[in-house]
Amino acid sequence: MTAKSSRREFLTRSAQGIALAATGGLVWSYLLQQQAQAAPHAIRPPGAHDEVDFNAKCIKCGQCVRDCPYDTLKLAPAGDSVAIGTPYFIPREIPCYMCIDIPCVKACPTGALDPSLEVIEDSRMGLAVIDIENCLSWQGLRCEICHRECPVQNKAITVEHHPRKISKHAMFVPLVHSDACTGCGVCEKACPTEVAAIRVVQPELVQGKIGEHYRLGWTIDTPITQDFKPQQRVDEQPAPATGLDYLNQGDL
Amino acid sequence: MGQTRREFLKTSVAASAAATVGLPISQTAQAATRDAEAGWQWDKSVCRFCGTGCGIMVATKDGKIVATKGDPDAPVNRGLNCIKGYFNGKIMYGKDRLTQPLMRMKDGKFQPVSWDQALDEMEKQFKKTYKEMGPHGVAVFGSGQYTIPEGYTMAKLMKAGFRSNNIDPNARHCMASAVVGFIQTFGIDEPSGNYDDIEHTDTVVTWGANMAECHPILWARVSDRKLGDEENVKLVNLTTCSNQTSDIADSEIVFKPGTDLAIFNYVAREIIKRDAVNKDFVEKHCVFATGPYDIGYGMRGTSEYAYDAEKDTQAKELKVTLDKYEAIAQRKKEGDVIEQKNRAKPVKHWQISFDEFKRGVEPYTLDFVAELSRGDADESLESHKEKLKALADLYVEKNRKVVSFWTMGMNQHYRGSWVNEQAYMLHLLLGKQAEPGNGAFSLTGQPSACGTAREVGTFAHRLPADMVVFNGKHRARSEKIWNLPDKTLNPKVGSHITKILRSMEDGSIKWAWVQVNNPFQASANANHWIAAARKSDNFLVVSDPYPTVSAKVADLILPTAMIYEKWGLYGNAERRTQGWRQQVNPPGEAMGDVWQGLEFAKRFKLKEVWGEHNVPGLKSEGFEDGKLPSVLDDAVAMGYSPEDTLYDVLFATKDNKKVAWPDPAVAKGHGNHIADKLGDGWFPEKALFDEYRQFTVNFQHDLADFDTYMRDDVRGLKWPVIDGKETEWRFNEKYDPYVTKGAGFEFYGKALKATPTGDLDKPTSKEKKKLAGKAKIFFRPYAAPPEQPDDNYDLWLSTGRVLEHWHTGTMTRRVPELHRAVPGAQVFMNPNDADKRGLKRNDVVWIESRRGKVKAVLETDGRNRPAKGYTFVPFFDESVMINKVALDVTCPMSKEEDFKKCAVKVYKA
Repeated sequence: MTAKSSRREFLTRSAQGIALAATGGLVWSYLLQQQAQAAPHAIRPPGAHDEVDFNAKCIKCGQCVRDCPYDTLKLAPAGDSVAIGTPYFIPREIPCYMCIDIPCVKACPTGALDPSLEVIEDSRMGLAVIDIENCLSWQGLRCEICHRECPVQNKAITVEHHPRKISKHAMFVPLVHSDACTGCGVCEKACPTEVAAIRVVQPELVQGKIGEHYRLGWTIDTPITQDFKPQQRVDEQPAPATGLDYLNQGDL
Repeated sequence: MGQTRREFLKTSVAASAAATVGLPISQTAQAATRDAEAGWQWDKSVCRFCGTGCGIMVATKDGKIVATKGDPDAPVNRGLNCIKGYFNGKIMYGKDRLTQPLMRMKDGKFQPVSWDQALDEMEKQFKKTYKEMGPHGVAVFGSGQYTIPEGYTMAKLMKAGFRSNNIDPNARHCMASAVVGFIQTFGIDEPSGNYDDIEHTDTVVTWGANMAECHPILWARVSDRKLGDEENVKLVNLTTCSNQTSDIADSEIVFKPGTDLAIFNYVAREIIKRDAVNKDFVEKHCVFATGPYDIGYGMRGTSEYAYDAEKDTQAKELKVTLDKYEAIAQRKKEGDVIEQKNRAKPVKHWQISFDEFKRGVEPYTLDFVAELSRGDADESLESHKEKLKALADLYVEKNRKVVSFWTMGMNQHYRGSWVNEQAYMLHLLLGKQAEPGNGAFSLTGQPSACGTAREVGTFAHRLPADMVVFNGKHRARSEKIWNLPDKTLNPKVGSHITKILRSMEDGSIKWAWVQVNNPFQASANANHWIAAARKSDNFLVVSDPYPTVSAKVADLILPTAMIYEKWGLYGNAERRTQGWRQQVNPPGEAMGDVWQGLEFAKRFKLKEVWGEHNVPGLKSEGFEDGKLPSVLDDAVAMGYSPEDTLYDVLFATKDNKKVAWPDPAVAKGHGNHIADKLGDGWFPEKALFDEYRQFTVNFQHDLADFDTYMRDDVRGLKWPVIDGKETEWRFNEKYDPYVTKGAGFEFYGKALKATPTGDLDKPTSKEKKKLAGKAKIFFRPYAAPPEQPDDNYDLWLSTGRVLEHWHTGTMTRRVPELHRAVPGAQVFMNPNDADKRGLKRNDVVWIESRRGKVKAVLETDGRNRPAKGYTFVPFFDESVMINKVALDVTCPMSKEEDFKKCAVKVYKA
């Protein structure tokens, strides 16, 4: 799977291509548990394929790590939850600074980091999520550091203004948008709380999906079809005399 | 309710609002969406579920609904849906969808049969019963979920064809009390105002309406109004069980079941004491009235069919001993034994003076009402008093606008009609009615309770447009529009839905057809009716898309088309009529209800139904007692032949056949499986709707024509629709063309506009005094619920809804996501009550009453938070058939069952 196709799939999966990545505290603790238990959720270099493909292709040569100018990337040591010798990074320590020339991808000899990734803004290393219970901005403090530090500012993170209700001050609340967030982790690194209240995780850990059977009414225009064409059902129809088991068995 | 908790909840609401405002869509995402939707065909429609009437858009591809969305152009919901509405596209695709008629064979098992076999047997059984027992031996269980053409087809078939008024909808259990309130107060059914009252008002008081769960989209509008002006806008939730509607309210008043009757009178008394009566309004537009108190409780007058355990409750139908509160409330003595003498005529009423009215409410002091009504033993009397006083303050405040909303808490009530009238009492005394932001507003539960059940009149006593079968002029007008011989229509009121069930038990109804509802799960005291359905000489037909509890006890099951598989119109709670086209064909051999009615009509010749019939109890001017005359000679004189079928005479008439199918201008390519199957070139839904419309035009109920409702630019219209314009607020000269110029307000409804006069206790003059153009302000006293907790059955039980499921769950429980979210009904109980019984959350418990018992999982910490002594169980779950436990008391006036009050015990299973 190429980065582009995975991106497309990613967008399609999120129905409108938009999902809000802020989550509450309870979900957060679940996440940490999951992260601690399983490797699949390591934050990989730009262009990394999904975990299975990546592990199959990565020969643990360390060339991406060598070429990373910020010492962001490191190789997993023995005993770590991440497969030994594979590259990953810890955003709170050193995030990805999104080099325009993407040296890590260029260095990869096997394509474990997808060479078709040409624009670093298209990379999806992870997705930032906000713990709104501990985010200072969500309490009304004027922080919004994540927003100001974000390399894809006003696309990946925006700020909205809402009444605070318990005082006469507006709140400036940061929101993450998955269609633009690369998961670089600059926000996580910059977050001023004792433990970061915005963190990068693998999107599948946090992203939901609206059913295919529904569209948000105000986001797309759907004029009434003027030349409707009745069609026959093509899928499998209910079996004949369904419900007989229920009707013929048991008492009320 | 703690201040902090409320603040927290409000903040959470703000936070979730923040999370969805104005997200931009990237172009890539838009393109991806467009790709996925290639070939989708969109059309407007409405939500299948509650009475709110949200507009939706429906997309089809390959003969299937592939998606829906909230309709951004629909004024009701502006693109939003609740979580049931979100799944409209999935309700038709349950795995056990019925696709063939199924007949119960000699071995007691169902087997597939052809439509011909099914209809042959149905006809044979009908004719047998009809011949043996006459028009009163057959019955139809109708629905507030019938489309307008469906309800009209069945009402006409029963009333004009079979000359039987035994058709009654499940809407009887939903808003019959509201109807009595409207008709007795205003002389015409349905609300004065509309949903825009929410944005205009300063105060929303909910009385027995958990709008947060049961009218979720309207509650979002109320909440928005509150959040937009938190200081001034006040919300008060009056309830017997703390619920989610309280979460954003300024005040939650938990009251003891039935004491809403007293609280209303307390507020009325305050209005008078504080000199807040709007004298000008009341003098010009109102009169005062009252009626008898000894009207029974809608139970049977005999214990013949009662289980032993039920007999003590049933005995109260005939006489009750007044408790100390009733005695004060009714100006009598404690311990007085009151024979219920007015059981047969509960609706009679007479005009009284304002002084008499004042005397009536005088006992309802704050001290008396607070002591009587306090519902939460953990709340101090002082706190409860404060809240009652604050409630009165809000109503009385001179320039404050107030909307009172209610639903099943007031309608499903042993004195439901009274308590509905009391809501109007407050608003009329204050002159806060029928203007933007001011009004008592009865919400409905079903999508077309108003549009079909009420307006078309699929009730045992009704004809279209608020006419009634016992009024000779109304019958004559109906016979004229329907082109029927004089005296075809039966003047005797038929059986209401509870009576149909009771009659199946006592053998006075032996053939019944259930359409668009599930009465054997949805009716209280269900063990009786399930047994009755299985009696060998009863024949029960059930039309349904899915195998339901009712189907399970049937003799014949007819597979039925669902909402988007047919053309239809619904009317919502704000008088808005909305239409939709058929989007897809029904699966297999399933067919729409209109077709089923028409096809059945083909099997009857005039000579079989329009001859003379015995109708025991028929007594009406111009009729021989106990007889419906033969109208065959008159029919022949009118040009009919005795060999004509009901299909020819009632439905495929010369005029109707001119309404041609196909109809490309309206259909825009959409199909019509019913017109196709009939194959005789007419468009039944349109022809029947436009025929029905004749009842409404220039008769205070004006509807637009069928084509108008189908127009791209119409998202429903609120009747009366006059010169193409809808009416926003009725009875108000500024908005309503029916009001006489210069009158300001006029309550012009025509029903019951002359009554005897009298004092608080009795009519003193039989001479009828006219009150044209005026509304009645009723004095109705507090009366105690006939069954209350005692040492054995020591808890109150109320039943109701949850947001996720619709009625008996036959559709929503087939949506896997909704089933996963709320797989079963729980019994909600106060944690202290659970402790006392040695029960823990998630224990399986029995809930037992005098009538039956069911098992459910105990919940002590959830969406409903009952006070000590109360339990709540939703009724959607057929594996927790709580209606086996519930009591079939009805409001004696409306015959609507009280699902909200009975006594139970709960113990470990």
